[in-house]
Amino acid sequence: MNPILSFIVILIGIYGLAISKNIIKSVFCITIVEAGTILLFLNFGAYEGGLIPILTSLGLDVVDPLPQALMITTIVIGSTITSLALMLCIKIFHHYGSIEWKVIFKGDK
Amino acid sequence: MIKKISLILLLLFILFVFITSMSSFSDIYNNAGKIFFSQNGYTDTGSVNLVTGIYLDYRLFDSLFEAAILLIAVSGVMLISEHTIDEKNATFMIDKQKTPELFVTFSRILYPIMLLFGIYVIVNGHLSPGGGFQGGAIVATAILILYYIDIRKTVDVHRVLTIEKFLFLGLVVISSLSFFTRGELFTNFIPLDANIEYKAIFLTSMNILIGAKVALGLVAIFTAFLKEGR
Amino acid sequence: MAKFIPILFIFVPIISAVIIYLIKNKAITNIVFLTQIILIFLLGYYAYELSRDPSISIIILGGWNEKFAISLRNDTLSLLFVGLTIFMWTMVLFYTFKTNSKYHKYLFFLMFLEGIFLAFLQTNDLFNLFVFLELITVLITILLSFKKNGPSLKAAIYYLLLNTLGAMFFLIGIIILYYTYGSINMTYLAENISTHAQKPIIKFAYMMMIAGASVKAALFPLYTWLPRAHGVAYTSLSALLSGLLVKGGLYLFIRVHIYMFGYQTYQMTEVLFYIGAITALVGVVLALSQKDLKQVLAHHTISQVGIMMMGLSYGYGLSYYGGLFHLVNHALFKSLLFLCAGLIIYEYKTKKIYAIRGVFKSMPLTSIFLIIGMLAISGAPFFNGYVSKTLVKYSFKDVPLKMFLFTLINIGTVTSFLKFSQILFGDRVKLEKRKDSKQFISIITIGLLCIVIGLFYKELGMFIFNIDFSYVKLFDFRAWLDYLIYIAIGYVLYKYYISKDYKPIRQIREYQITFETANYLFIFYIAFLSLMMYYIL
Repeated sequence: MNPILSFIVILIGIYGLAISKNIIKSVFCITIVEAGTILLFLNFGAYEGGLIPILTSLGLDVVDPLPQALMITTIVIGSTITSLALMLCIKIFHHYGSIEWKVIFKGDK
Repeated sequence: MIKKISLILLLLFILFVFITSMSSFSDIYNNAGKIFFSQNGYTDTGSVNLVTGIYLDYRLFDSLFEAAILLIAVSGVMLISEHTIDEKNATFMIDKQKTPELFVTFSRILYPIMLLFGIYVIVNGHLSPGGGFQGGAIVATAILILYYIDIRKTVDVHRVLTIEKFLFLGLVVISSLSFFTRGELFTNFIPLDANIEYKAIFLTSMNILIGAKVALGLVAIFTAFLKEGR
Repeated sequence: MAKFIPILFIFVPIISAVIIYLIKNKAITNIVFLTQIILIFLLGYYAYELSRDPSISIIILGGWNEKFAISLRNDTLSLLFVGLTIFMWTMVLFYTFKTNSKYHKYLFFLMFLEGIFLAFLQTNDLFNLFVFLELITVLITILLSFKKNGPSLKAAIYYLLLNTLGAMFFLIGIIILYYTYGSINMTYLAENISTHAQKPIIKFAYMMMIAGASVKAALFPLYTWLPRAHGVAYTSLSALLSGLLVKGGLYLFIRVHIYMFGYQTYQMTEVLFYIGAITALVGVVLALSQKDLKQVLAHHTISQVGIMMMGLSYGYGLSYYGGLFHLVNHALFKSLLFLCAGLIIYEYKTKKIYAIRGVFKSMPLTSIFLIIGMLAISGAPFFNGYVSKTLVKYSFKDVPLKMFLFTLINIGTVTSFLKFSQILFGDRVKLEKRKDSKQFISIITIGLLCIVIGLFYKELGMFIFNIDFSYVKLFDFRAWLDYLIYIAIGYVLYKYYISKDYKPIRQIREYQITFETANYLFIFYIAFLSLMMYYIL
């Protein structure tokens, strides 16, 4: 059940990307998609009664530690992309005076 | 309107495909990775926290490039935020702030506590939950709380960027030291059959370097946003 | 000792990039040429050692169990790409080398991109591939926004958001594969994937990974970032973007579709072929309607990627090697065209085709190589485009519908280059010459290489791939006749229809796909792929 809920979070994020008219909302929706992906990865491996992977003695039943290590990397990557996108938004506002997709791309040919 | 309805129908179709595929998932679930790491992780890497053992020993190559992406993002944000002449709508927040007295007092109390907690999380990365990346974010938050105390005292970003690049070179050098002691690249430089306490030297020093790098990077990004190129 | 050379491939450009940034001296920037010489020498040595002893092709980092550790692997495909990368970067560095203080940072990002791209080609671990994919996205975003004026920032954020979405979908595919097989090593997956390959969840993973690779490779509904990115980039970055980084997406596609899953596991050859054909047609139609010099070349990249996809989707035989060969050839002649166009735009100070005239008399050396590039891309015999296009046709030469589509694409290519060649005619224009002779070195080298490959393709095919390319004949009378008929039809089409700039053409040119529409098309593409995989096949 949990992986399906995480996938619904991803789909909500994509829905938001397809209808948002504002650049900042699009950046938020990318963050939602990324958070949903991280939840999906962790939820596939979680089960009732699994302990955290810190071994105080050998032989206990721990959860798989590899997804957690991979997700540390993914969280860092996601935060750097968000910061870069937001700095680009600020600069676009300074140049054009508005942050809507339609207004910005109006002058193109 | 028709666009929204067709969009929702397409998304429901994808969800339906996913749900029907998930029904067969529980009988092909494979445990091989979990068994390998929980049996051999402690004796191979010397860290009680298996997650730290993975990202500092089995997959050190990944963590190097994660540090590299922070480096690139900080340099890129600094590059983009420099000002050019033809901008018409720039307003600066830094001239308009007046922090309330309550925030200033509390920040003075919180700053040493947060700094100490961040350093504890970095150094104890291999014994308890934590590590370089997590502790670096906490230290960065602690340094940024200084902005509440005095908004004029900002960090010299160019020097921070230079120090960060030296830290990245240091990370690459320490990771490749294992080539001379063990013959393999990008792993712990203490030999495999040594005492487990000695292996923690490598883990702690890598955690400290990564924590410093992450903290400096996040402070630089936030300062770039605050100053907006001034 | 020769075993660890792939690590040097990755770290030598990165360290030289950091040195350029830290030491702000003008003379130090010459270190980029030293880097390229070191890389070429290392590549030659490594290829020689590999041909003597094939067991050094895999490095397991850290010496752990192969199933759970990161490894780097080099085979013929990745060595071909590595050689192409080093060659292209050398040419681009000759073209763009200036020692201003502003260009310190540009060289820093460019050399870092070289190191990361070389690592992307050699890694054997799926999550590592994802990290390098995101790194390449961030680096190109920063390089695109380097000029810091309005259009650059718009193109950069469009590129960033769309490609990040594609990479997230690639990650979902990786997740499902890890929990089913217990390992994310590509060699292990390639051997063991057939145990569960027909389960629905693995088909879902395959579809997600193909969707993620399609965004990077600019296939049909997801190509919209490419024209915008080319409109704002520096010429050197345009040559690299079209020549090499789009091929990174195709490299991902080859690894997923042919190497890991096997091209006959899901019978998706026809679907992928038609996606490639539609991409090629759309690219050519859009290219015919553009008025800007660089936008014509950018839309042509889209259509040539479609032709490569038509060849690669077969997975074996001469069509597959034709697609691969077209990949190498396209990198050469597209970068030649972009570099010549960059020189012309710098001299004439405008980008519109109708405003530039008389190139042949004012800039003779540039225009000779421009003509070589145009002949190569349109498939004239004696040049390399002819070899690869004839090879791609091999597997479907008996199917009339597919041959008809291929002929249409070729006619469109020839027509749009007839339109492009209008800049050559006219009288001499007075210009001030640029005083940088190093740029001509790169143009001459690439141009001569086009001709050499066009003449000696049999020896090259035997040496690199061990495949006999003698299906392609240099003096085939029918091929010459076909080419001349294409030129005649193209000339008629151009004269009476396109040069008048009728209203439909103007509407095609001005139709912009917004960001929301691009996402809507992405969702439609995923739904279409899942419909094909689950219910029809």
